[in-house]
Amino acid sequence: MITPGEGNAGAARALLRQQSKALRGHVLRPVAFGLAATITGLLGAWLVARLVAALLGHPGAGWDDLAATGALALLGIGLGLAQERSQLAAGEAARARLRDAAFARLLALGPADPRGVGERASLVVDRIEALDGYFARWLPAAALALLAPLVVIVAAFMVDGRSALVLAIAGLLYPIAMALTGIGAAAASRRQFESLERLSGRFLDRMRGLPTLVLFNRQEEEATALGTAADELRARTMRVLRIAFLSGTAMELLAAGAIACTAWRYGGFAGDPTAGVFALLLVPAFFAPLRAFSAAYHERLAATGAAAALAPLLDRPAAEGLALEAMPPRVVVTFSDVRLSYDPARAPALDGLSFRVNAGETLVLAGPSGAGKSSVLRLLMGFIRPDAGRMAINGQDAMALRPEELRRLSSYIGQKPHLFRGSIRENIRFARPEATAAQVEAAAQAARVTDFAAALPEGLDTAVGEGGWGLSGGQAQRVALARAFLRDTPLVLLDEPTAHLDPGTEAEVIESLQRLCLGRTAIIASHSGARAQLGRVLEIAAGRVPGTARQVPA
Amino acid sequence: MRADLARVLGLWRPRATWLLGGIAAAAVAALLGLALLAMAGERVAALAAGGLLLLPLVVLRPASRWVERMLTHAATFRALADTRVWFFRRLAERMPAGIGLHRSGDLLGRLVADVEALDRLYLSAIVPVLTAIVVVLVTLALLAGAPLLAALVALPLAVALLLPLLLAPGAARAAAAGATAQGRLRAAAVDPLMGIEDTLAANAEARAGAALATEGAALAAAQRRLAWRGAWAGAAGAVLVQAALLGALGWGLETGASGLGLAVLGLFLAVAAAESIGTLPRAGTTLAIAAASARRLFEAADTPAPVAEPVTPAELPAGYALRLEHIRFAWTPDRPPVFEDLALEVPEGARLALLGPSGAGKSSLAALLLKLAAPQEGRITLGGVDLANLPADAVRRRIACLTQDARLFDDSIAANLRIAAPTAPDAALWRALDRAGIGELVRTLPDGLATGCGEGGARFSGGQARRLALARVLLSAAPVLILDEPTAGLDAETERAFLETLETVTAGRSVILITHRLTGVERPTRILRLVGGRVLSAAG
Repeated sequence: MITPGEGNAGAARALLRQQSKALRGHVLRPVAFGLAATITGLLGAWLVARLVAALLGHPGAGWDDLAATGALALLGIGLGLAQERSQLAAGEAARARLRDAAFARLLALGPADPRGVGERASLVVDRIEALDGYFARWLPAAALALLAPLVVIVAAFMVDGRSALVLAIAGLLYPIAMALTGIGAAAASRRQFESLERLSGRFLDRMRGLPTLVLFNRQEEEATALGTAADELRARTMRVLRIAFLSGTAMELLAAGAIACTAWRYGGFAGDPTAGVFALLLVPAFFAPLRAFSAAYHERLAATGAAAALAPLLDRPAAEGLALEAMPPRVVVTFSDVRLSYDPARAPALDGLSFRVNAGETLVLAGPSGAGKSSVLRLLMGFIRPDAGRMAINGQDAMALRPEELRRLSSYIGQKPHLFRGSIRENIRFARPEATAAQVEAAAQAARVTDFAAALPEGLDTAVGEGGWGLSGGQAQRVALARAFLRDTPLVLLDEPTAHLDPGTEAEVIESLQRLCLGRTAIIASHSGARAQLGRVLEIAAGRVPGTARQVPA
Repeated sequence: MRADLARVLGLWRPRATWLLGGIAAAAVAALLGLALLAMAGERVAALAAGGLLLLPLVVLRPASRWVERMLTHAATFRALADTRVWFFRRLAERMPAGIGLHRSGDLLGRLVADVEALDRLYLSAIVPVLTAIVVVLVTLALLAGAPLLAALVALPLAVALLLPLLLAPGAARAAAAGATAQGRLRAAAVDPLMGIEDTLAANAEARAGAALATEGAALAAAQRRLAWRGAWAGAAGAVLVQAALLGALGWGLETGASGLGLAVLGLFLAVAAAESIGTLPRAGTTLAIAAASARRLFEAADTPAPVAEPVTPAELPAGYALRLEHIRFAWTPDRPPVFEDLALEVPEGARLALLGPSGAGKSSLAALLLKLAAPQEGRITLGGVDLANLPADAVRRRIACLTQDARLFDDSIAANLRIAAPTAPDAALWRALDRAGIGELVRTLPDGLATGCGEGGARFSGGQARRLALARVLLSAAPVLILDEPTAGLDAETERAFLETLETVTAGRSVILITHRLTGVERPTRILRLVGGRVLSAAG
């Protein structure tokens, strides 16, 4: 049972902080462009103020100034575009970085990850996308909300100290107003937002389960309930928004107040109105970055949610261990008292299993479902680690190797080989990308893929996998066999290679299997009747070889 | 695009008062902002001595913005709730062929995102565009005294109004390209994860990572093009606002003292209008995205119902023997038929095991029996009555199905079970849970039957969730049960335990057990194998 708690939020914040630091260069660029645009805007406002003064009969500015104003405006717009561009780049860099890291961790978790494929894929697609706004908009907006108003105040100070004071007071009041309304909003909203999320999730939940509802004739009741839930959701949301919008209103009030104060100060002023007009034009310029900050605020909330989901994954340390120095030509596998448990509440999967497979020997692990046959193969593939005991390759501790290095020794065919999106040829080459065309062809021949591929529209180049030509279980099994032939490793691990095949196909596959195992060390998990012809049979039950003394774990 | 958006507005018609009220409030707020800045400007320029009007504006303007936001949001929520319920009903009526049985959750989930994209249509497109129109018209009216000035100020602003419409088609294309790129990115993540064992076994982690990074970069490029369009549109809007501002100043320089008041008014109107006009160009992107969402929604909502309801429904028969005669069925005419001349009989109380590799049509058979699809030839009878003459809900009261993607809802265990039998007492729920082999576990939960299941049953392991779904089917009163791979996700021990008790827990009902293999403990009365669209009897 998973409940996102405070610890999660802390991890999310830590993740975002650490990533912002790593991406500092990317994030600073938009801030610099934004500040430049603010300064350009100030210069433009000064020229406009001079022009207005000229209109009012204080000569000094003319058409030249008008042209300069236009040029400055264009420059400012150009800087704005540059800011936007660098913001996009910051977001892209952040996403690429985090996606690579998250996906590598997901692959390293391997088949042991209990989450569904859709959920895991959504971590590296949707969750990463949700982080974009944090780096592309929130971080620059937050920095500019601090810096740009300061620049405006300095500009105001150079012209008129009191206008600067008005803006400075508004600037100081802003966080206070935010805090006051924010506290109210937070107090009202924390629980509200939770139920709000639950209610808006309801529609998604019921839509996803629509087939189930229709099959039980419950769609009409649910439609009515959805309507009621939506009404309730609206009432709750509006209660939250009533206060949440107050923070926006507070800012409007400050802006309007600043305008009125400036107007009041300069109203009926008979002298040069340049300073007055300038001060007035500064008010919108002062509040623009604060507005942008408020607008980007929700990006932070969305990102925190996504970061909380990603943090546990990204915080996992990378697997450690040695690299495989040289590929041994022959392999002896020894298991000594290996123990493995998936769930402490249930009987262990392996309970002190010991056996030895000599170089070039084929060992068939037999026994009922749940006896631990597949667990042996998963251990040798590094998908899982044993709780206790020793697993040795040629006398060396196999656990000392990094899992991916351990896998380099083996060709593995699982119970249901996956066909990736691509041609059959690409699917075979997948096992060894650097293989020559002739080697791929030879592997396809050896696994008798060519037999059925000949009948396909484009032979070995026929597209398979998602959206491609559907291959039968036996055909997919043979593609996997071709992969194993091509991979050409000293150790072969096969998990129920013929479990889903009809008897005719089974015989054909077994014939290819025998050729694959020739001269290699092979471990085959099988409860099929044809197993005796493959090699020495070792019966296992309840995670150990029956009859062996059960040692008490230390 | 226009037709789809018009249809959305049609759906929203019952909420017209709220929606128009929101627009009116937005217009008032924008005009008050205009008034505030213009009056302050006039005062600073020492053209208007009065400042008394300024004070109420300082309060009125923020207050009007608050009212605007409350009204527009209240209106959106109302309209959106209607859209949701409408769409839910519509989709339930015509569950598109195949959707009921295949990984459809994600597809339906995406449609939810589309419904939600529609709220942006009102808030980020319709309201700002209409508000801006009002601002431009008022500007025009205020400056009417000097037609040239009015043209200089209002014309650029009016052109800015056209930007969203001009930009929408291009933005729609860019958004579509982005959606495609996102799909490819997801596929690049899903494929290696689906075949995770094979990916790892081939030491292909780095290759899969590189492929994902390539698709990620492609998506980023597509998004950049879309965002870049928005940025240029924003820049264009800014240029137009500046043009209005410079126009007012230039006119003032040219006219001299006589036009002073109007020139300053025009100047500050342009400054104030920048706020309303500035958000407009982005409205083009919003419009395009909302239109694309609307398109997808209506496509799904307009799919013809896969099986027509009988005009004059027959009486529901008392018996529940099933009989399939000469069935020919293909999901679509262009796909090879799943069944050719299929014949099958399920007498009352029979326990039938239906074997076959995946793709042999086992689930298609369930779809036919549940009236989620209809055969092109042949007929299916339930208790001697042709299924075609029975309404779908009547058939589904007789035949309950545990589909492969049977879903647990984010609700209590009791509520999830009662989907099958709304009035069942707790005792019946416990009986069903016990039969599914999960009663013991539920008893250990502190909240018992009231325990929440989490989204999609996330609170429970895959095997536990599967057993809860099984309990739900067992609770239903239907005399015919279709169990599609009922033990998928269960460990071997539990699987055996459940299958051994299958005979007792389903006593008195017909059971069609769909599976790709038998464990040897099922004791079915008949075993059939689906091969090449036909049924073959197989030895036990």
